Parts: sequence; C-alpha cells; structure tokens
Amino acid sequence: MKNLYLRFTIAVVAITLTVGLSGFVKPAEVSYKCMIQMMNYTGEKAYVVVSLIDPDGNYVKTLYIQGDDKEWFPDLKNWWKFSHGSNENVDGVTGATIGNGERNIISLGFDSSQLDSGYKVRFESAVENQEYYAVDAEVPLNTATIKEKVDGSGYIRYIRMVPNR
Amino acid sequence: MLVSVWRYSHLLFAICSSIFLLIASVTGIILAVEPIYNKVQPYHVSGADELSLAEVLSTLNQTHEEVVAITRDRNGFLKVSSIAEGKNQDFYVNPFTGENLGLPIEKKPIFQFSTNLHRSLFLKSPGRLLIGLASFFLFLIALTGIVLIAKRQGGFSKFFSPIVKENFSQYHHVKYSRITLIPILFLAITGVYLSLLRFEIIPEPTVSLEVDYDNLNEMPSLSLNDFELFKKIKLGELRELEYPFSEFVEDYYIIRLKNRELYVNQYTGEILAEAQFPMVNIISSWATVLHTAEGSILWAIVLGAGSLAIPFLIVTGFVIYFKRPKTKIKNKISKNDAEFVILVGTEGGTTLQFAEQLQKKLLHKNYSCFLAMMNDYDRFKSMKQLIVITATYGQGEAPASAEKFMQLLAKKSQSQKFQFATVGFGSTAYPHFCQFAYDAHQQLEKLDKATALMDVSTVNDQSFEAFQNWCTEWSQLQEMDIRLEKPKIVGNSLPPSTFRVLHKDELPSDETFLLNLKNLNGAKPVSGDLLSVIPKEGERERLYSLGKLSDNSLVISIRRHPNGLCSNYLHQLEDGADLTAKVVPNRNFHFPKNSKKTILIATGTGIGPFLGMIAENSKKKELHLYWGARTPNSLSLYKDFIEKSIQEGKLSHFKTAYSREKDKKVYVQHLIEKDKQLFIEVLKKGGTIMICGSIAMQKEVLQELRSICSNYIGKDLSHFQNKRQIKMDCY
Repeated sequence: MKNLYLRFTIAVVAITLTVGLSGFVKPAEVSYKCMIQMMNYTGEKAYVVVSLIDPDGNYVKTLYIQGDDKEWFPDLKNWWKFSHGSNENVDGVTGATIGNGERNIISLGFDSSQLDSGYKVRFESAVENQEYYAVDAEVPLNTATIKEKVDGSGYIRYIRMVPNR
Repeated sequence: MLVSVWRYSHLLFAICSSIFLLIASVTGIILAVEPIYNKVQPYHVSGADELSLAEVLSTLNQTHEEVVAITRDRNGFLKVSSIAEGKNQDFYVNPFTGENLGLPIEKKPIFQFSTNLHRSLFLKSPGRLLIGLASFFLFLIALTGIVLIAKRQGGFSKFFSPIVKENFSQYHHVKYSRITLIPILFLAITGVYLSLLRFEIIPEPTVSLEVDYDNLNEMPSLSLNDFELFKKIKLGELRELEYPFSEFVEDYYIIRLKNRELYVNQYTGEILAEAQFPMVNIISSWATVLHTAEGSILWAIVLGAGSLAIPFLIVTGFVIYFKRPKTKIKNKISKNDAEFVILVGTEGGTTLQFAEQLQKKLLHKNYSCFLAMMNDYDRFKSMKQLIVITATYGQGEAPASAEKFMQLLAKKSQSQKFQFATVGFGSTAYPHFCQFAYDAHQQLEKLDKATALMDVSTVNDQSFEAFQNWCTEWSQLQEMDIRLEKPKIVGNSLPPSTFRVLHKDELPSDETFLLNLKNLNGAKPVSGDLLSVIPKEGERERLYSLGKLSDNSLVISIRRHPNGLCSNYLHQLEDGADLTAKVVPNRNFHFPKNSKKTILIATGTGIGPFLGMIAENSKKKELHLYWGARTPNSLSLYKDFIEKSIQEGKLSHFKTAYSREKDKKVYVQHLIEKDKQLFIEVLKKGGTIMICGSIAMQKEVLQELRSICSNYIGKDLSHFQNKRQIKMDCY
C-alpha cells in the first residue's frame, strides 16, 4: 500500500514537473531551406505567400511573402483575409518577386512541436490580371517526407525543402 | 505633303496624349533621379569587376554561413542572398573581402509611387495600355515634329542651323525640341517596346536548358578554385549566380551572364548545359536600360532633360496654336461689292496685322475694301485692285492660309480686268526669302484679266517702314493718299527717360543734323539701340538709331524732312533743352563682341549708330566703314570725327561713294564689288557686316553680298545671316 502511495507521489511530481517545466522551456526552433521554382508562364511576376497551416486547416502565421509592393497583397485573397484581418506584422518576412522560370531560395523556421503533428506549409500565388491559386502547393511538415519534391498547381512548378545546415 | 497636314497631325497627336504625356513626363523627371540616387550609394568597389568568379565565391564561402545566390546589378553592386541562423539575409558585399556593406537599397515611396503612376496611372492593365499608347503618340509627335522642323528650316540638311526667332514660344519650342529630340525618341521607342513586351505582342522566349541527369558525375571532385570556368569568368560579366540547392549532384550552379545561361556541376565544375539568350531578351534588356537609365548617371540626366522638355514643349506648343490667328476677319463690304481686295497668306498672324492696317485705312478713306485669306480666293465681281500680302513657309512653300491659292487661281477666273500688287513678308535669314510671294506674283501674271501694277515688294523682318514704303508707292500709282499707322508690336521698351541736348551740328545744304544728347536718368543704351521719340502726344513714334560716344554723350543723326513732324521737332531743340524719349533695346544691332574684323556699311544718316561703335572701339579691332552719300560736301558733318578716329586707330579704313558726282555715280554696292576680297575674308573668318540706312540701299547691298557669297564662297548669304554675321537696321 505504501508502495502504491509512493508510486502515486512520484507520478504526480513527475507530471507536475513535466507540465510545469514545459511552460518555461521554449520548444526548439528548426529551420528548413526552401526552394520555390516557378513555371514558365507568361505575364507579370508572381506574388507568392508562404503560410503555416494548423492540422484543422487554419492559418497560423505568415512565414514569407515573395512580393514587395503591398498594392497587390489583397490579390492573395484567403491569406489577406487572415493576415490583414488579424493585423499581422509582416514587415520582416518580405522579399522580391520573381518572374517566370526563376527560382527563389528562402529559409523557413518552425517550432519542433509543429513537426510531424499535422501542420503544413501552404504556398498561395497570384499574378496581376491572372488566376489566383489559393493552394498552389502544400508541403506537410512531416520529417519523413519533407525532402520530397512537391509539385505546384499554379505558377509554381515545384517546392523543395531540406533542413538547414 | 502640305505643311498643314503635318502640323495638324502633330497637334492632333498632342491633343490626344497630352494629359498622359504630362503625367508620364513629370513622373519621368522624378524617376530620372532614382538611378542617380542608386548609383551614388557607396556599394561600388573599384576593380572588383576584374576578379574571377572563383576568387569571389571562395571569399564569400569563407566569410558567410550559407550563400544562396549572388547578383550583380546594373550599378555594378554585388548583392549576396544568404541564410544565417535560419534567417534570409540580403546585403551588398565587398567582393575582395566579403565584407557586408549594407542592406539592399529600398525603393523610396516617392519612386514607388512615381513608378506605378508612370507605368499604369494606378489603373493596372487599362492604365498600362493608355501609357503605351501615349508613348506611341509621343513617337508620332516626334516624327511629325522632325518633318515640321525640316520644312521650317528649309530642308533636312539645315535641320540644326540657327532658328529664326518669331516669338518666344515658336523659337523655344523648336530650339528645345531639337536639343531633346534624341532622349525623347529613345523614351518613346523604348516605352512602346516595353508596352508591347508587357502585352505579349513581342513574345519573350524563355531559355530552358536540359540537363542529362543520367550522366552526372561526382568525380573528380574539385575545389571551386579549380573550376576552369569559374577561373575564366570575370565578375564584370556576371548577372546572377544561384548556388546548388542541396548537396545532391542533381543540384547545380545556375549562372547567368550578360548574354547566356549556364548550369555547372557542383562537384566537377563541368558545364552541364549552356544557351545564349535569344536576341529578343537582349534587346529587351537594352530597352529597359535605355528607358530607365539604370546604372548610368549621364544617361539618367539626358533622359531627365528629355522628360523635363516634354511639359515645356506641350505648353509652348499649345501657346503657338492658340496664338495663331483665328481667322476672324471683319468686313463691312461684301466680297462682290469691293473694288479693293486684300488677300493674306500668313503663318503666325503678323502679316495679317499689316493687312488689317491697310484695310482700315482704305475703308477710312471710303474705298470699298474686302479682306480675306488667300485660301478664300473666289470670284470678286467688282474687284479692280487686288493686293496679295503673303509670308513664305520654310522652303518657299505656301503659308497655312494660302495653301490652296494656286489651285483656286486656276479654278476661279474673274470676269473683269483687274490690277494686282504683291507684297512678300519674310526674313532674309531664310534661304528662300519671300519665294512664295514671287511664285504667287508669277502665277497671277499668267491670268488673262490680270495686270501687275508694280513689281513684287518685299518686307524683311516685319519692317513697318518697308511696308509703308510699299504702301506709299502703291497709293501714289493710283493717286491715292494712304498713310499707315504702325501696329503696336514694338515691345519691351524701357520707361521714358529725359535727355538733354548738348550740341547740334547742322549741314543745311543736306538737310541733315547731328544731335548730341546726354542721358539724365534711367536708360543705359548701347550703340545700335533705338531712341523712340513722340513729338506730340497721340502722334506716332519715330525711331532713331543711337550711337554712344561716351558715357555722357549719345548721338543721333537726323535727316530733316520738309513736313516731317518729328525731324522738325528735334531740329528746333536748342542746346540745353530737354527731350523725353524711350530707349528701345535693339539687340540684333549691337556691335559684335567676338568679331575680329567688322565692316560697317551706311548711307546718309545711317552712320549715326556707327559713330558710337567707332568711338567705343578702344581695343582697336579692325574696323572698315563704307559710307554712301550724295556729294563730298555731305561728309563735312562727320569729317573731323572720322579723321580723329583713324588717327587714334579706332577706325581702320574709310571709303566713300558719292551718287551725285558729275563724272561718275558711285553707290556703296559698287565699293563692295570692288573690295570683294575683304568681304570674302571677313565672312569666311566669322567677322561681321553691319548695314544701316535706307531699305533701297539694303536691298542693293544684300544683292551684291549674295552674289559674292554664292560665286566665291559657295554658300548662300542666309547661311551667314543665320550665324548673325550680317546685322541690319534699315528703314
């Protein structure tokens, strides 16, 4: 009986410690190098926004915006609703647009807890006066498959990701 | 093709596009600053372009965590895209050391705003289309403008010869459009090109290189420094280099040079694929550089000047258009009741003012008179006298309001006999002086019912005196007495000053006298300026050429006319009397500062301004004076002064021609013929010939000079007139 009590105590302490400490310890950051390779389409340079999507399919945050003129941001409708709607600060994550056939290599950072737990990286794209792709490409944050090339369905030919050195 | 067709096209294109061109040019001026602003940023490292790619890459790899790509922009700045601590970073580097020089130049909001407005008026695609069309219109405006200048100047070969100044807008419109023609043409053509590219009318092919993935080697694995290609390529040739995405051999270096793209194996350094950029891409790249002036301060300034000129040309262009006479001619007498018909051929409207003056005076004296444009030539049932007053456009062509005249002459024949007279308005600075007037006259002579009352008379540079002379002659032939009033076009005269009469020298036998004046306030005239004297209020002004003998002494030379109001008024002034008069600047008749040799030609009182010019020749430049008068006795007024000037070295030579000598009548033009070697030399060496005196003398002298020019120099006299080597002030 005493034994049982002891075990119970240890278990409570252990759980308390785990839960308590986990509140203070920041989960590890992992970063991936990501290549966005564009199709050979005709027209202006594409605006591409990279967002983190939770397992329920909701936007969590903006990881990168390939496009530096805010005039065109509303063209990326779904993302704009989220990002503009939640007053997200996206100043630090914008880069230049690239044109057809070109590629862009960027670094994307995640919490390690977001790996292998149903999160995805979504690429949505738009080109002036042309079609808008709400999901041009989507890469599951699954460590087993993340290195595989993912084809795009719009202006993006494919996405590749590798862990950063 | 008719001038008016070109002109109306020029105007029409401008009307269609002026708003857009105005927006594009104003934003263009702002955008011309951007490449200059960028170029002067401190990211340029001199000598870096000579580094090899191998040297640059190994430096960068040693100094930075992970480089993803490097870009060399048109300013020659090297930008590195890298990943450091999981973050994207872009910055300029020093290619020698890898040192981070600073963050990429951010486009200033003003430039971003201007770019959007410049490209698309904030209207996205429709806006781009409008701007593209405006560029095309600008191109057409430039083309029609080139033709108009050529027509005005008298041929393409005279495209850049000096412009005859008619008024501010006309002169500066032509002047600045010529100066900025090159940048404007470049802006228009590249603008059109970029629009065509944007709307995919010019397709821009993409280079796609094929890599043979089945035969990729990882051996022999070399260091970057040993890649032959990287050792060979200089940084100056590079546009962009992308590092392999991963360490798989399937990932390779992508290198874009100015003219080609290459894929390079990351282990062995061998070229996996290579292709030249298609011609279109290279042209597009040039079009972009030429349109934006990226990377070149000089070209940015040139394009900026072109942009700056466009609003100016739009404004002056419209001013020219609105200043053109809107042919609202008032006639009290209908065309079939008028005995006198005045027809006008005009370009800028000044000729019309003279004709209106004549019409007014004829009506005043109760002569039935009808005034119309030459294009309105028709059957005039009561016409007895036809007066054609016409300017000439460019190479002897009809001016705008007379283009149809020649055809109409043939079509509309008169039923009664009539006499006609032709007056040509023009400038002897144009090679085909009054050519159209002569042509019209000749055509009229061929008509059965028409008889010429007199020869063609010409009026140079809107000389009122010459027109008045013609009018006097014309009216006397018909025993009429018509006196014209000078139209008020003499501008920019200074406020009246007071002059004190110092001394009067008189030669009664010649009815001439010299007045020495002292300026008591205000005006500081230069020899050659005019003194405007109005003897009594309400009377017409008379103009006298001023000579400045010294700061305190001016001189005018006057011929006394028996009934001359003004000359008699001046004649009765006693020494010490005060005279109120205005000085009218006459820049075209100032003594040339840079002319080494100068010839002065005068008859009678025309010597007045030359007395001042001789007195002021303290540098003792070579100066020749030719003077014509009736008898040697006429010289006595000036004799002392001239002898003194020769002694002091202020006057080099003095020659006289007397027309009333018993044995032989000599005129100044005869002296010119005799001394032609001197005249040839002066003209060839950039010297100046100044002529002052009567219109009749001017005509003879010009005739003589013209034949010397064409016979001995092989150039038209107008060539020298345009270079302002011939200066005239005749009345």
